[in-house]
Amino acid sequence: MICHHPSRLLALYVIFCAMQTPSIVQGARDFEKKVSMMLKEEPENPKCFAEGRKDFTCFWEEDEERAGSVDQYSFTYTYQNENSSRCPLRTVPAAGGKRLFICHLNRTQMFVQMDIQVHREGVLIHNRSLLIELVFLLNPPANVTVSSTGQQGQLNVSWVPPPLKYMDDSMMYEVSYSAADNHVGQVEVARASSELILRGLQPGTKYKVRVRVKLDGISYNGYWSAWSEPEFMETLPAELDLLIMSLTLIISFVLIGLSLAMLLSHRRFLVNKIWPTIPTPDSKFQGLFTVYGGDFKEWLGHTNGGLWLTPAFYDSEEFPSRLEVLSELSLCPTPGGSVLTDRWRATPHDHWLMDRLRALHQNPVPSSQSSLLESQDAYVTLNANNRSEDEHLDDILEEALPLEVLFASRKKALCESHSDLGSVQQSSGSGRLSSQSSFEYPNHIWMPKGPGYTYMAVADSGVSMDYSPMSRVDDIGKVAIYANEYKNDIPAHRRPFLLRQHPVHDDS
Amino acid sequence: FFVSVTPGLLALLLIVLEWTRPGLPSPLRPICDLRVLNHFIKEARDAEVAMKSCREGCSLSESVTVPQTRVEFDVWEKKTALEQAQEVQSGLWLLQQALNLLRTSVTNTALQSHIDNSIRNLLSINGVLRSLNIQEYTPPASAAGLEGTWRVSSATDLLQVHVNFLRGKVRLLLLDAQACQQDVS
Repeated sequence: MICHHPSRLLALYVIFCAMQTPSIVQGARDFEKKVSMMLKEEPENPKCFAEGRKDFTCFWEEDEERAGSVDQYSFTYTYQNENSSRCPLRTVPAAGGKRLFICHLNRTQMFVQMDIQVHREGVLIHNRSLLIELVFLLNPPANVTVSSTGQQGQLNVSWVPPPLKYMDDSMMYEVSYSAADNHVGQVEVARASSELILRGLQPGTKYKVRVRVKLDGISYNGYWSAWSEPEFMETLPAELDLLIMSLTLIISFVLIGLSLAMLLSHRRFLVNKIWPTIPTPDSKFQGLFTVYGGDFKEWLGHTNGGLWLTPAFYDSEEFPSRLEVLSELSLCPTPGGSVLTDRWRATPHDHWLMDRLRALHQNPVPSSQSSLLESQDAYVTLNANNRSEDEHLDDILEEALPLEVLFASRKKALCESHSDLGSVQQSSGSGRLSSQSSFEYPNHIWMPKGPGYTYMAVADSGVSMDYSPMSRVDDIGKVAIYANEYKNDIPAHRRPFLLRQHPVHDDS
Repeated sequence: FFVSVTPGLLALLLIVLEWTRPGLPSPLRPICDLRVLNHFIKEARDAEVAMKSCREGCSLSESVTVPQTRVEFDVWEKKTALEQAQEVQSGLWLLQQALNLLRTSVTNTALQSHIDNSIRNLLSINGVLRSLNIQEYTPPASAAGLEGTWRVSSATDLLQVHVNFLRGKVRLLLLDAQACQQDVS
């Protein structure tokens, strides 16, 4: 029936040939590779190798100029205990101006010695004796696949062994792998298996893997095959080891917890170190800041002096006492029309008082000193010491006042202070007499004229207190010294009395 | 609950589980491991190398009959297992005879130890074949005229035959042995 359709047959034949061409081309390419390898590795001539259980190829190389035609050569092989046979030769040109003479056998006997002889025109040019099972040159492993094993730094390489029956367990493989950018590679050997796991690889790196095969040399032997086509595969990227990461986290949490506990237990100490408290004197002065708002004078007035005032300075039992002004004696010139200044006019009554005082001074009454001190009826002469205009008055006054208080203050203030008995505030020209016992004694005005002149402050309680910086020690016993807190308000229109007769002296 | 289960029921359960266990290929019997034969082959090769370097006292007194070692795979595969076994066993017997003769012929002590090794190995191979249920071989009355034999007269040739025989036919027989075939269920 096919004969009826020769065209169809021809078409089928052509298609078949076309399909076979790629494999033929590939086979030819493989052969070329093997030839070149044999030329490198095998020193003897002819170079022979077996590709399978039945195939056997021998060849030798000759220079183009010296080579004869194929007919001139004869290839003779002899198995042990057998007759010799001839092998048909074919020739192919080779690279580098050479020519190859090739003998190919389709049937071979293994495990028996084979003697080969090559003659060229009857002359023996090559002689060799070999065992075919010891000269295997296989094709490289096919279907090399590289895959990840799922673990860090590992790759799984698998391949298909050359299809040779009875020889699977005699095969030895070499796996060459290297990082893609690295030229230096490593080699792993696998025996009688078709896969291998590469370990100890760098994570996240691309690797180039190739495999070659050879028979192990016990029963069979041969040459290393060509390297298979390289396969590329990337290893798994580096990842944190779960165990190490979890342990690190646990340890860090424990350390943080410990440090927090330590901080909390010593927080008061740390707070004092970072924000130190500023010391305030609140604790020493009760009520100074809370009640009086820091006004020290106010606070002093309302407390009994606090902790730092000593009795030598101040007597806590002091009571303020009333001072009644008996008469006023104006001794300093009054500025014209000043409302604020009370004038002291030397009235005849006043002069009489002064005479009485003078008399009193000249007749000291020593026996009644102590009674004077203790007397509640103390009187005081308060004089303004105006140097420039009233010098005669000063003389009079100084003479007449060995006992009394000689009060001197500033010039302007003295005029005012006649009505303002010893007020600290200098602006007391209003006439209101309110003062404390803090008399001021400017030293430049004060000039001691002789013994017996002292300055004293009056106190009704009789307890002496010395305000004067210039008091003489030997006068302390003679003079009555009083500390006084005087608080009194006298209206401006009234002229206060300055003096009052002491009934004791009158009697004497 | 576990205490209440009767031992009989437990045994039955185990049997059923064992029986229905997913089939894994049973591991190869140790005797089928060809590493033993490889070891013999290596030692035979050592003897051959020692013979090559021997100068004196290492010759065969008379020619011996040795088996053919050549293997043509197509031909070999066409033979039955029995034929293969027969071929191997007769060859082994011949080699034993030859090596025994060589042992008496050789005076070199180093070579003698190698030959002793080889003789022991041949006996071990016989034992392996027996354990693989390969039929026992009854040696003929005389070696002359046996098929597949030929005569050698040099010790070198004898040892070479010895090596080739082990590497070829003996190995193929062991590889193909039915008892050593892995059954994958």
